Amino acid sequence: MLKKSAETATIDFLATARALLPEGASYDACVGCGLCASGCPASGMFGMDPRRFINMAMLGMNEELSTTPWVWACTQCKRCAYICPMGIDVSLLVGASRSNWAKEDKPKGIVRSCAAQMLDESTSAIGLRSEDFVEIVEETADELRQNDPRFAEIEVRIDKPGAKFIINQNSREPAVEPEEMAPIWKIFDYVGADWTYASKGWAAENFCMFSGDDEAWRDMVKTRVDAINDLGAEIWVNTECGHSFYTLWKGIDRFGLEANFEPASMVSLYAQWIREGKLPVNSDWNVDNLKFTVQDPCQLVRKSLGDTAADDLRFVVETLVGKDNFVDMQPCRSANYCCGGGGGFLQAGMSKERRAYGKRKFDQIVTTKADYVLTPCHNCHSQIDDIGAHYGGAYHVTHLWTLICISLGILGPDERKYLGPELAAIGLPDPQ
Amino acid sequence: MKRHTRHVTADLAVIGTGIAGCAASIFARDLGLTVAQIGHSGAMAYTTGYIDLLGVLDGRVLDDPWSGLDALRSTDACHPLARMTNHDIRTAFDRFVRLLGEMGLGYTAPGDRNVSALLPYGTTKPTLSLPDTMLPGSDALHRRAPALIIDFEGLQGFSATEFCTNMASVWPGLRPARLVFPGLEARPVFPEVMARTLETPVAQEQLADLIQPLLNGAETIGLPAILGLQAPDRVRARLEQLTGATLFEIPTIPPGVPGIRLREAFERELPRRGVLLEPQNKVSEAILRSTGVDLTVQGALDDLRIEASAAVLASGRFLSGGLKSDRYRVKETVLNLPVRQPETRDGWFSAEYLDPAGYPVNKAGIEIDAAFRPLGPDGVPASDRLFAAGVVLAHQDWVRQRCGAGLAIATAYGAVQAAAGSINAR
Repeated sequence: MLKKSAETATIDFLATARALLPEGASYDACVGCGLCASGCPASGMFGMDPRRFINMAMLGMNEELSTTPWVWACTQCKRCAYICPMGIDVSLLVGASRSNWAKEDKPKGIVRSCAAQMLDESTSAIGLRSEDFVEIVEETADELRQNDPRFAEIEVRIDKPGAKFIINQNSREPAVEPEEMAPIWKIFDYVGADWTYASKGWAAENFCMFSGDDEAWRDMVKTRVDAINDLGAEIWVNTECGHSFYTLWKGIDRFGLEANFEPASMVSLYAQWIREGKLPVNSDWNVDNLKFTVQDPCQLVRKSLGDTAADDLRFVVETLVGKDNFVDMQPCRSANYCCGGGGGFLQAGMSKERRAYGKRKFDQIVTTKADYVLTPCHNCHSQIDDIGAHYGGAYHVTHLWTLICISLGILGPDERKYLGPELAAIGLPDPQ
Repeated sequence: MKRHTRHVTADLAVIGTGIAGCAASIFARDLGLTVAQIGHSGAMAYTTGYIDLLGVLDGRVLDDPWSGLDALRSTDACHPLARMTNHDIRTAFDRFVRLLGEMGLGYTAPGDRNVSALLPYGTTKPTLSLPDTMLPGSDALHRRAPALIIDFEGLQGFSATEFCTNMASVWPGLRPARLVFPGLEARPVFPEVMARTLETPVAQEQLADLIQPLLNGAETIGLPAILGLQAPDRVRARLEQLTGATLFEIPTIPPGVPGIRLREAFERELPRRGVLLEPQNKVSEAILRSTGVDLTVQGALDDLRIEASAAVLASGRFLSGGLKSDRYRVKETVLNLPVRQPETRDGWFSAEYLDPAGYPVNKAGIEIDAAFRPLGPDGVPASDRLFAAGVVLAHQDWVRQRCGAGLAIATAYGAVQAAAGSINAR
């Protein structure tokens, strides 16, 4: 189990709270009702919950709070702040506590992921270097051009100055499953969007925020912001990922960086293109009326765009699978529970706690009786997949880009890794 | 980084996401108005789930709330409920309760008499409409029927033994028992967690298996309110089928499930009915214009600007942030409207801590005219387009009068009718 060494400094949590809280907010306002703890999937772990954290801060129990490993089980999802009538945000104190842990005591997986991001200007959490990324993208694009005549001319650009959109890419795809990059390219190609990758700062992950290393978080964001500014893109599009969106705009805000672009979520762009008729998707392919639910990524919805993003997500999914085949989890949208994959939990090596946290998500999913869980977030994706396997769920977890390409009839045979057997062959070109 | 502002126009802006605000949005949609509703988490999640109209007047427990309202009109004409006819209040109440049913939360139809509803510590209170999951408890109390009362290891805020002991003099046939909730061994448990778990068939079967050996002939079982969150009536029916007994829920102290059910149901239902709901942020700026009200909401990443033809202020009291106080004065937080209150702080409280009459400050709040328009400093309406509803209003003591939900629902109806009139008259 995680343990903090004795020599680490003790934080004065009340003073920290006063420094961190927005004007007018006060931890003194806590009435002790426990809505935060009741709605927090990490409650009870390591004998801690959000209410207890606040109570102990009020009592000056700084040493206990400075050493509790619970700060690594809290995913900083901010549901406590959402549900609290006083708006008390425990995640701010958790962030301060994480920062205060000595590097050698922090969960090694999170620290390693942050360190990997610092290795190279690619900012990849699995250490994929810029030149490797460029090579993998070019090779994968070449294969696509050769294998599918419909995409013989597809353009996949890197470092194109003045492109309207610049998109990032989660490292998992180029490193482990490069064929999963193609659906997004096809979608951008389909709508005729002027887009590019950047060879620097392209990676869509940021574990330095989760490891509590503010300096590294800032450096990470700066590398990315500089790359986007240099290419002069109008809109920075965050791929189907939650925390890479939050950490970038929050980082720009927090560290006072200059950004000459607008941030946009891939999901909102899908929604916009569907509304504009540029992505003529529908649910005709869903002949078996398979049922779908969605996981609202906390980092994208509650922590960033609010229910606007949740609305866009539902619009896209309902269009794709059919209104009657969509079942919401409860609660959902801004009130959604974190799945337990956030905050670096997946990388923290605390599987027992992480799965216990995820049990509530699993129950929510099972209650919907959905065959598929869709989520525009890689951490949600991995966690929901894992708890499904662990607790015996029968559902599949899939990206939105997969379904969009199914509906458009352009999903290639090797882009179906996350589909179940019932969809494995749907819409494949006739071999004759 | 460019910060965006979304611009929205609406016939009606509703400020507040408590019962009054949600009722106002629904009533406005019923009239065909476009609605934008803004608010942060408030006190709704603290309710017992009972929908009170008027339970206590001048210290007397009311059997008939409707004649109580008649009495209120003659003795306390400034009370917000006294500004409405029984007919309008009944219309509002019936509509609201029907809506709850449409949202998947079955409630008893409001009748002519109050019902004795069970409370967590083994006491009762008068209410007018109660969740179907709680009705058999009231019935069993009425019949003094023997019942098994169950609680759970690690659950704070509800003790079966305490409930049975305190009830013993009026309801002798109660027997307490304690279970360990499946999957929540050796840890503190919250009703919300149990309720969420009980939405899965597996957990329903596991719990029924644990209850079976305790029955020992009992035909009625009382449980803390944990029978699911989105479809409690279905969860209860399934557990009744599995156990062969009649089940009822008893509300627990906050954070309790019945209030969370209401909150989540409204968060689901309002967008479905076309309400633009901003459930995460409070109004950061409100400006009264001659043609309506402009509101600004600061989001994390972008701002929302609402231009509404009229607004209903349903921002609640201290807990929800509609009122705040320093050591000297009580203030209204959204528009800095004058608050009716004792002249000085010395007049806020009574000498007796548990004074059954309540404290003068309990009746502080904003003044309205007959059309639910808040009064400005000069005693005339602050705007022809601003209306107010719920417990932010002065001249009521909803806690002691057991009229919180009734006040919210009825005045929301009154305020929306008046607001619609002002919009249509433009």
